[in-house]
Amino acid sequence: MSNSPDSDCIRALEDVNPTVFAKALASRGVFLDVGAITLHAQSNSDLLALQLQSVYAAFPFVDRTDWAEVHVQISRSTGLRRWIKPQVILRCDGQQPFEPFPADAPLPLFEWGCNWMIGQRLNDLLLLHAGAVERDGLALVLPATPGSGKSTLTAALSMRGWRLLSDEFGAFDPDSGTFRALLKPVALKNQSIEVIRDFAPHARFGPEFPKTRKGTVAHMAAQADAVARRHEDARPGAFVLPKWVAGSPTRWEPLAESMLFGALAFNAFNYSVLGATGFRAVVSLVRQCPGWQLVYSDLDDALATIDAAWSEVRRHHQEPSR
Amino acid sequence: MARYARSEGILIEAMGHLWAAFCPATGETTLLNTESVSILEVLEAGAADEATICDLLAEDCGVDAATIAAQIEGCWPSLIEVGLVREVRAARTMPG
Repeated sequence: MSNSPDSDCIRALEDVNPTVFAKALASRGVFLDVGAITLHAQSNSDLLALQLQSVYAAFPFVDRTDWAEVHVQISRSTGLRRWIKPQVILRCDGQQPFEPFPADAPLPLFEWGCNWMIGQRLNDLLLLHAGAVERDGLALVLPATPGSGKSTLTAALSMRGWRLLSDEFGAFDPDSGTFRALLKPVALKNQSIEVIRDFAPHARFGPEFPKTRKGTVAHMAAQADAVARRHEDARPGAFVLPKWVAGSPTRWEPLAESMLFGALAFNAFNYSVLGATGFRAVVSLVRQCPGWQLVYSDLDDALATIDAAWSEVRRHHQEPSR
Repeated sequence: MARYARSEGILIEAMGHLWAAFCPATGETTLLNTESVSILEVLEAGAADEATICDLLAEDCGVDAATIAAQIEGCWPSLIEVGLVREVRAARTMPG
């Protein structure tokens, strides 16, 4: 039976027979509606099928639909190589933007390929390089550079009452003035994996992939509630620039407007592509939202600090003439 | 003496003690100090040379032009680099 988005009864990926799912992925492909866009995945890798079912577990199983913004194909290598050192190859729109990955690591290749394509394609949105979560209808956006603890903090927040919007993109829609979900698994690296496993033992993880170009990577699945609400936008709430420093006490300091502006504009995937629209979008975000720098090493303490500040954020947005 | 002109359609917004500026011609964004923005404000009325800019700012601020010249000396490279200001060459006249 095929599932289209308007089917009466759509099963979650985790409820689909693995053989059926692998067959669908290998034939016409499957469609992952991640909120702001739909990804089309097509692959003859049975391993990718299993890994997708694991980390997109709560997403609806859709194997036919009218439209997808991003198309990604992952193929097992052919020829003699497949016997000695098998690989998987990613193609999107006729391009092969990355080197092949080992055949047992198709998921990291798929995730990086999708993120790369999203960064290239979604120029109707301002794509901040940031984690994003929601509470009370307001987005808390965590812009940061790699290695700053952004994904760790985003993952932890998503396991403590905040709705995950994205681990990688603060996707701001200049037309609606809201943040949109680009809900994909949270990619955790190296020691962050154990940190979150300890922090949230019930979190659902895919397999660990050692020796990737970013070290060991594991993907944490989004919670079912976040998946169910992935089409709910969030108004801009606040910005927190996280920085994980080993052994540091938690430091929470307000950000000057100019610092926040720089952190958003100069750390976005497509700011320069958007031109004046991007400039106006960043200005409007800085005008609307308070921003802080958070230096932390203790995750519980960092979350408590954010929770304590959140009532101030809510008040800020309730005041008239903002 | 070189004359300078402000690029068309630039956007400037206050960002705390600095200013964010966007230049449509180059697509560049930069953060400016107040001195740089004051130059752009003077040039909004039309192209001018550095001495004229200093005189106008000196008159406005109530200080001498040499002090202003020293204050804005470091502003030019970034203004020109991101395209917010361009040098205007005087048109050549035919001899005789």
